[in-house]
Amino acid sequence: MALLERSEWYDIARATNWTPKYVTDSELFPDDMTGAKGVPMEKWEVYDEPYKTSYPEYVRIQREKDAGAYSVKAALERSQMFEDADPGWLSILKAHYGAIALGEYAAMSAEARMVRFGRAPGMRNMATFGMLDENRHAQLQLYFPHEHCKKDRQFDWAHKAYHSNEWGAIAARHTFDDLFMARSATDIAVMLTFAFETGFTNMQFLGLAADAAEAGDYTFSSLISSIQTDESRHAQIGGPALQVLISNGRKEEAQKLVDIAIARAWRIFGVLTGPAMDYYTPLTHRKQSFKEFMQEWIVGQFERSLIDLGLDLPWYWDQMVNEFDYQHHAYHLGVWFWRPTVWWNPAAGMTPDCRDWLEEKYPGWNDTFGKCWDVIIENLLAGKPELTVPETLPVVCNMSQLPICAVPGKGWNVKDHPLDYKGRTYHFNSEIDRWIFQQDPVRYRDHMTLVDRFLAGQIQPMNLMGALQYMSLAPGEIGDDAHKYAWVEQYRNNPYQRKAA
Amino acid sequence: MALFPLISNFQNDFVLQLLPVDTENTMDEVAAAAAYHSVGRRVAAQPGKVVRVRRQGASDFIPRDKRLGETDIKPMECIEFIFADS
Ligand SMILES: [Fe+2]
Ligand SMILES: [Fe+2]
Repeated sequence: MALLERSEWYDIARATNWTPKYVTDSELFPDDMTGAKGVPMEKWEVYDEPYKTSYPEYVRIQREKDAGAYSVKAALERSQMFEDADPGWLSILKAHYGAIALGEYAAMSAEARMVRFGRAPGMRNMATFGMLDENRHAQLQLYFPHEHCKKDRQFDWAHKAYHSNEWGAIAARHTFDDLFMARSATDIAVMLTFAFETGFTNMQFLGLAADAAEAGDYTFSSLISSIQTDESRHAQIGGPALQVLISNGRKEEAQKLVDIAIARAWRIFGVLTGPAMDYYTPLTHRKQSFKEFMQEWIVGQFERSLIDLGLDLPWYWDQMVNEFDYQHHAYHLGVWFWRPTVWWNPAAGMTPDCRDWLEEKYPGWNDTFGKCWDVIIENLLAGKPELTVPETLPVVCNMSQLPICAVPGKGWNVKDHPLDYKGRTYHFNSEIDRWIFQQDPVRYRDHMTLVDRFLAGQIQPMNLMGALQYMSLAPGEIGDDAHKYAWVEQYRNNPYQRKAA
Repeated sequence: MALFPLISNFQNDFVLQLLPVDTENTMDEVAAAAAYHSVGRRVAAQPGKVVRVRRQGASDFIPRDKRLGETDIKPMECIEFIFADS
């Protein structure tokens, strides 16, 4: 039987808006759930999805993709990747799986909300495939680490992290709840697909795919390349939704959603991707610094897509670009120092060669972050490892849920950004985090950071042991230096000499 | 005697830390408690200097023998700890 070309039937099949007879339109599509911001149904019908596919086409292509990823895994199962890889690489894998895998299930729920409450038929179509994509991503990224669980319990955190009160998991949940679990269909299109996926996931997935190939981990490289092909399709849901909002006089609302989403995404990538690229990846495998990556993908490319849509750069753009120089260095130092509280083994990335590289990529690094590492190295050389672990909590931001931190040493600029709101004082990492809170205080005000919970007596006993128990970090899971401090020996009787410029 | 949580922002350190102290503590004692979590861990000691205490945004230090309970510092206020000559 001859089949029609897709283009001959697609527009008719897509026209799935109708006028309800038994309920009102606002009962069927409540504004709270659609996020249509008063833009009526017919105005959404101009939404034209940039990527069109049919269900049979989708299934055929996805089957091929899955077959590809699973067969690479099967073929390499007896390879010695786990035994041969640099421990820093294994740490990247563990951090990635724990932070991402169940987040994909959350993204599936968000796509499902667009399927049901999207105002544009084309948006509902695309989101149907997006929903199936996210289900695939969650399952792949739970299945792939599973083979390592028997060798290393930290891999179990691929599934466990989101079910725990570990601080990184709290930060990821808080961010993803804000960007897509607790948002309307339109807001999800803008915040998850446009801002988060178009802007940032490229970086985690394309950047890591390249690093994985460099590190010889072809299983992971093919896995995340496969995922990224889905992302680059369903990330396009947001663009046409933004066009509808802007052409119907809702630019201000749209801009605010974009500004919030970019700011929150930047923090998560700063703590996850920043240390992976500039510290955990072995020096010989580094292609670009995190800052260079951010400048290429966020400033170079994403900035253009914002402008092309008729949006403005977020008000804090210059400040965020300025943070590319230091925020992830501070997060890395915090993660390494508080290493018993993470489910992976942070790689210090602190050999003399690494420091030369950091100085070259981030001039002034040795006079700032290097000053803290000098003290740490001194303690490790002197056989005082107890001084390289914490005895108190860092104060975490009431928005990002990450430690409030900035530049130490000669550039010392650490500062609290407090806000009094209805009898409670909130603490923020920057004006940007505080601004997000002020956009909708009712939304955020009741959340308790890890420090708030500690002070309220929810963490018992009130010491590191109690904190680790609260975070569900069992023995064999708590983090330690990825290379078992072997790198420290390079400094014995040989203090670091900065390379002459 | 009452447990009193502060936020420590120690000069040359990179992060704000929770600092449990007591209303009876003098500023010197509060400074010593803050130093415990920063100096010799991530901040190099500065022999001959004393660590002085000021509220975030203030330029003046609080007198060294003043007790925390005698100031109007609030719980979980961000306090700066600065190396000074005296
Ligand atoms: Fe995904
Ligand atoms: Fe996605």
